[in-house]
Amino acid sequence: MDAAEVEFLAEKELVTIIPNFSLDKIYLIGGDLGPFNPGLPVQVPLWLAVNLKQRQKCRLLPPEWMDVEKLEKMRDHERKEGTFTPMPSPYYMELTKLLLNHASDNIPQADEIRTLIKDVWDTRIAKFRVSADSFVRQQEAHAKLDNLTLMEINTSGAFLTQALNHMYKLRTNLQPSDSTQSQDF
Amino acid sequence: MAEEADLLGQDSDGDSEEVVLTPAELIDRLEQAWMNEKFAPELLENKSEIVECVMEQLEHMEENLKRAKKGDLKVSIHQMEMERIRFVLSSYLRCRLMKIEKFFPHILEKEKTRREEEPSILSPEEFVFAKEFLANTETYLKDTALKHMPPNLQKVDLMRTDLLSGSVHMLCPPETLERVSLQWSLLLPPRLPLISRPLHLSSERVLIPKPDLDAYVFLRVKERQENILVEPESDEQRDYVIDLEEGSQHLIRYRTVAPLVASGAIQLI
Repeated sequence: MDAAEVEFLAEKELVTIIPNFSLDKIYLIGGDLGPFNPGLPVQVPLWLAVNLKQRQKCRLLPPEWMDVEKLEKMRDHERKEGTFTPMPSPYYMELTKLLLNHASDNIPQADEIRTLIKDVWDTRIAKFRVSADSFVRQQEAHAKLDNLTLMEINTSGAFLTQALNHMYKLRTNLQPSDSTQSQDF
Repeated sequence: MAEEADLLGQDSDGDSEEVVLTPAELIDRLEQAWMNEKFAPELLENKSEIVECVMEQLEHMEENLKRAKKGDLKVSIHQMEMERIRFVLSSYLRCRLMKIEKFFPHILEKEKTRREEEPSILSPEEFVFAKEFLANTETYLKDTALKHMPPNLQKVDLMRTDLLSGSVHMLCPPETLERVSLQWSLLLPPRLPLISRPLHLSSERVLIPKPDLDAYVFLRVKERQENILVEPESDEQRDYVIDLEEGSQHLIRYRTVAPLVASGAIQLI
């Protein structure tokens, strides 16, 4: 899966916006939204929020967890723990990236938040790499990866599964095959 | 989720899904089918009822938009959403077509040997596509390679005409083996399944590539499962059982969990 496709899935998450236009309720296939009244907060999916912001029709509100103190606590907690801690949103990375790219004026202390999220991300990716390494070394057959988000799995997931597939084929081909006179490609 | 389960419980027909899903749930199901299809090594059961319902919804919405031409913002919001749904739908169908092209002899053989009551993996259109692909590949091989080979080697059927066996038979004496195998590998288009799986070209027969069910997959558990057997990787380990808790994520070989994917108890990620 591309990172863009993971972002596509993340764009369905609901965020709060404050529109500057008015529109009555709209009935999308995926659910009902609105009504939109200027100055009153309303929840919409991220793809719509970013689009409206680009057309300067709304203001974005940061989600409740996107706050410097909370993120600092999260980062320290992540660094202390050996396993993966639960994240405030299964799409925290994509939300941060999109919100900070398009609406950094609406989000207080955007730069610190960016740095904190990046720290959390780096810690988690390092843990993922270490645990993938030990998985391979000990030839485990199964791993539990709770609290890992899709974006993190996707960074090296395809490579990891391909490598594991090759190793499995090599291991199981150690038994002599029963066909006579065969030539491999 | 519980609401959906109640609706499914009312369905007594095995055949058609007389389930009433809200459009939002339908789109969710489509996205789940899309992700499962992307990460599963084999072609999964076709969800043509979901595809048809989604197409209906999209057509319905398009008609509505044509009539209500006022209000530029509303129209553009609906159009954006329709584009998103169309992307998932076409990606899903493209993924299935890619797998059909990769494994067409195996799939056609499975289709031929399935019993009447079992549902088909292919939709009717996909079945036609697979058969045409088979015919085109045979013609291509004949025109590019086989007519230049010595006359006693010119007969190759990717499958027997009665589709009973799934192997390509190429009878050739050992000394021509190397030359034939080189010609074969050079002339087949790269997407044809020679690369995806080691092929044994013996002096007797060539095996068709099958999907690698031992591939590793990531999954998320939607319904709690107990006693899933994990087979050992090396001889020193023994097999053990695990329970799959709801909401947990795992990395495991596809073969063990394939029936759970088909039943919807787990989601590949």
